[in-house]
Amino acid sequence: MNAYIQRVLSVPASVREQTGRFRRQVERFVRGELTPTAFRAYRVPWGVYEQRSAGHFMVRVRIGAGVVSSSQLRCLARLSRAYGNGILHVTTRQDVQIHDVAIESTPHVLEDLLEAGLSSRGGGGNTVRNITACPRAGICAAERFDVTPHAIALAEYLLQFDSSYNLPRKYKIVFSGCAADCGLASVADLGFFAHHREGAKGFAVYAGGGLGPNPAVGVKVEDFIREGDIFEVAETVKRLFDKHGDRSNKHKARLRYVLKRLGPEQFIRLYRQERTAVRQEGLEGPLPQIEATDERPTTSATTNVLDGSQATADIAPEKDAGLFTFRLGLPLGDLSADELVEVARLADNYGTGLVRTTQQQNLLIPSVPEERFDDLHAEIGRLGIRTSDQRSPEVVACAGAATCKLGLCLSRSLATAITKKLAENPNSTVGGTTIRVSGCPNSCAQHHVADIGLQGHARRVDGKLLPCYDVLTGGKTAEGKAQLATRIGTVPAKAVPDLLAELFAAGKIPSQLEPLVHEYESKAIPDDYFYDWGADQPFSLAGRGPGECGAGVMDVITVDIQQAKEAIKQAALKTQDSAKSESLYQAVLASARALLVLSGDEPKTDRAIFQAFTKHLIEPGWVDLAAQELLDCAVDWRMGNKGTLADMQDRAARLVQRVEQLFLSLDANLKFKLEPVAVTRAASEGPASTVDLRGVACPLNFVKAKLAVEKVGIGDIIEIQLDDGEPIRNVSASLADQGQEVLETKRLYDHFLLRVRRTR
Amino acid sequence: MPLTEAQIERYSRHIILDKVGGVGQEKLLSAKVLIVGTGGLGAPAALYLAAAGVGTIGLLDGDAVDLTNLQRQIIHHTEDVGVRKVDSALAKMHAINPNVTIRTYDVWARADNLAQIVREYDFVIDGVDNFAAKFLINDVCYFEQIPFSHAGILQFEGQLMTVLPNATACYRCVFPAPPPAGSVPSCGQAGVLGVLPGVVGSLQATEAIKHLLGIGELLTDTLLTYNALTMTFRKIPVGRNPECPLCGRNPEITEVRDEKQVVCEQRGCVC
Repeated sequence: MNAYIQRVLSVPASVREQTGRFRRQVERFVRGELTPTAFRAYRVPWGVYEQRSAGHFMVRVRIGAGVVSSSQLRCLARLSRAYGNGILHVTTRQDVQIHDVAIESTPHVLEDLLEAGLSSRGGGGNTVRNITACPRAGICAAERFDVTPHAIALAEYLLQFDSSYNLPRKYKIVFSGCAADCGLASVADLGFFAHHREGAKGFAVYAGGGLGPNPAVGVKVEDFIREGDIFEVAETVKRLFDKHGDRSNKHKARLRYVLKRLGPEQFIRLYRQERTAVRQEGLEGPLPQIEATDERPTTSATTNVLDGSQATADIAPEKDAGLFTFRLGLPLGDLSADELVEVARLADNYGTGLVRTTQQQNLLIPSVPEERFDDLHAEIGRLGIRTSDQRSPEVVACAGAATCKLGLCLSRSLATAITKKLAENPNSTVGGTTIRVSGCPNSCAQHHVADIGLQGHARRVDGKLLPCYDVLTGGKTAEGKAQLATRIGTVPAKAVPDLLAELFAAGKIPSQLEPLVHEYESKAIPDDYFYDWGADQPFSLAGRGPGECGAGVMDVITVDIQQAKEAIKQAALKTQDSAKSESLYQAVLASARALLVLSGDEPKTDRAIFQAFTKHLIEPGWVDLAAQELLDCAVDWRMGNKGTLADMQDRAARLVQRVEQLFLSLDANLKFKLEPVAVTRAASEGPASTVDLRGVACPLNFVKAKLAVEKVGIGDIIEIQLDDGEPIRNVSASLADQGQEVLETKRLYDHFLLRVRRTR
Repeated sequence: MPLTEAQIERYSRHIILDKVGGVGQEKLLSAKVLIVGTGGLGAPAALYLAAAGVGTIGLLDGDAVDLTNLQRQIIHHTEDVGVRKVDSALAKMHAINPNVTIRTYDVWARADNLAQIVREYDFVIDGVDNFAAKFLINDVCYFEQIPFSHAGILQFEGQLMTVLPNATACYRCVFPAPPPAGSVPSCGQAGVLGVLPGVVGSLQATEAIKHLLGIGELLTDTLLTYNALTMTFRKIPVGRNPECPLCGRNPEITEVRDEKQVVCEQRGCVC
């Protein structure tokens, strides 16, 4: 019998060309001609991220639809050995990452990848990310038809355009071959579900889904589109996103916030309008070929048992009788370069030479004939490729705080601890359960669609930070019926493995977890709980500069602000001065502490907290000078002067309010968007005109800026939006050179706002 | 009218200039310059002014392109030999910048036709090859109060002066009358370095643009001489001459008249 063979993504010519220029930008950065900020803006859309330890970079390679050839795997292995740490990592979005690459080596990596037909373009940043598909598309017995040709053609189409790399935020597109949604299309920015109508292939389309903070399930925007319309629909959603996405706040930029802001009706109405416009305008052609898929009938006998959950079995029958998919369950998505070379060889020898990456961070060797199964099994055993135990739960973890700059908790260490703990009791009922561990609310481990989801979180106990995890259950994806996991409680990180072991030992299933979580929530906290899994220092956020604060840090700030607000409420209820003062003191302390982490400070004592607040927030004018008096009174009260603090309830409330406003005004770079209290006249004046020059290259942006300045009256203020890098530097300097008064250069989410007063 | 996207791009290097900007470029776009003579001097001036976006450019020349012109009159190409000069020049200017309006006058400059043409323009470039026409331009511009740039070239030397009539020295303040016929050889007789009018004509275009924008210092009350062999530029101060027969205290010339020699007698000597 002939096995079914798919093609891999072909890197478009425009991306090939741009890859040739990557080297020059790296060289400019190394020579100091490019600032780290400008370089970051350039490299991140190339999938090149700095790891937690400075100077080490990760390269995220897109694997279109998760289909990768054995020769491409050998290239990845070679690059990891030559330039990285010799370990490859499979991501939940079917990418493959090379870690620990020196910046000077990144051009080699990108160029060599290209030779193997691979690219990291769009591997990060506000771009069209890897377009993924069900991991077993084309070979799954339950699918309606093979969706990999669609995922690949759409990627080849979108990757050509510059507009795909300058979106308000990332744009994730997923194809699922049936309603079971193994591809997770129901929680994607744009999700396609395979359907037939009148014998023609096509898709139901959902948009506005996404995981991360405030996760959402997409809404249906099309009942059915023909397969050839995927380009038009993807372009429509891209434009909808581009127009309505909030570029001023990275944390509120994803398409799901547009959906939330507009509501489903308005969202769908705008989508329809946009699609009409796109259709009238016509797409920029030519459109890539969607390979005709082989619509062969399922001939294997096991159709009815195959659904999404079967993907966790190590061996699964395929659509074609006699062929099987072999799963390599990688521990946390990692395998060594040497192992990867062996996987490539096995795929050549036993399968079709293709390997699939999965959303569970595993690899699949598809289309192994039944009669060769034992040989393959024996080889894997002999080679010692580490795979996870079939009876253990599927534990998926994000990179976590060990290497991720955004991470809060050490999610990988917890995942390892869970696996180890559950292995102690082999009688447990965990088989088939998916546990997903995200180190922070960014949800990189997709914990909202897990049987058991864990999300890193910090609580403050006795003034100290305690690493915890929110526990969520009940997540599932399915066309039209997707459900996000809901939080049932929060337990200390160190207690999580015991919690899960207890659940499974009792023969219970995840939906029965809630009472147990509450039990664990009320347990006493031993000292070692202040150490995260795998950490030898107490849990702390100190030393994380603004560039490194992610959602986890925001979470901690929220904890402090909530505490301060609660204390103000308590103070209002107290009648005795001493009790009132105690509450006010707590309110002042919590609000003073809340924002300090943004300055990389984590003072231990109350006195140090107050001092740091004066330095970082009062002196620069973020908080009214009147707060200083309040702080002084609080210190006095602590020192035994019982006099005045109780009278300052209003002032304390105002402080809490101001701190919260500042927090809510944080932009993506963790700068306050609120004006300082002591504003200059110029900075508070409204502009006479604003002009958006993003996407306009030097020097034309200056030309246009100058023309715009000439249009306002002398003495008037104009605001100009400019891209990061050369644009903001050059335009601002040139306007100043020509005698205009540059009032302010404000960093917004991914660009700048230049305020200029026309003086001549 | 606001600049179009294409205009913004086309003129971006002007707009960037502190002293030009969008305002300056709009001035140029609404300005009108007459170039008298589309020969060696007129050629670079016409090309640069068209490129710069001077909105309306007049070309006045009654001649046709001759093979001997091509050594220096770079607006005309080999295939243009025999074509009317104004038509040949128009084609090249439109090729550079289709957005400028070009008016052509396929006539020789004469006392009875020049004034009505000149008064339509903001600035005049004297690119003629003979003294009679140079004096005619000077006189007409004086009576019509139109600023102009005078220039002359011969062999390896050129000269240049900008005249703001009734305000700065005019051509006759420096040279009251044409020299006797035959006392100064023409280009056809003495020869001229081909690149020389390229330099001087470009300087004339520079003066025109500066005047239209109102920037810099014009070459008024000053005669600039250029020696290509020694690479010397000299600025010779000249003042208004009280005895000037045109703009002096007791002018003899009270109306435009043709000097004796209207055009170079020798065919093909248009400089």
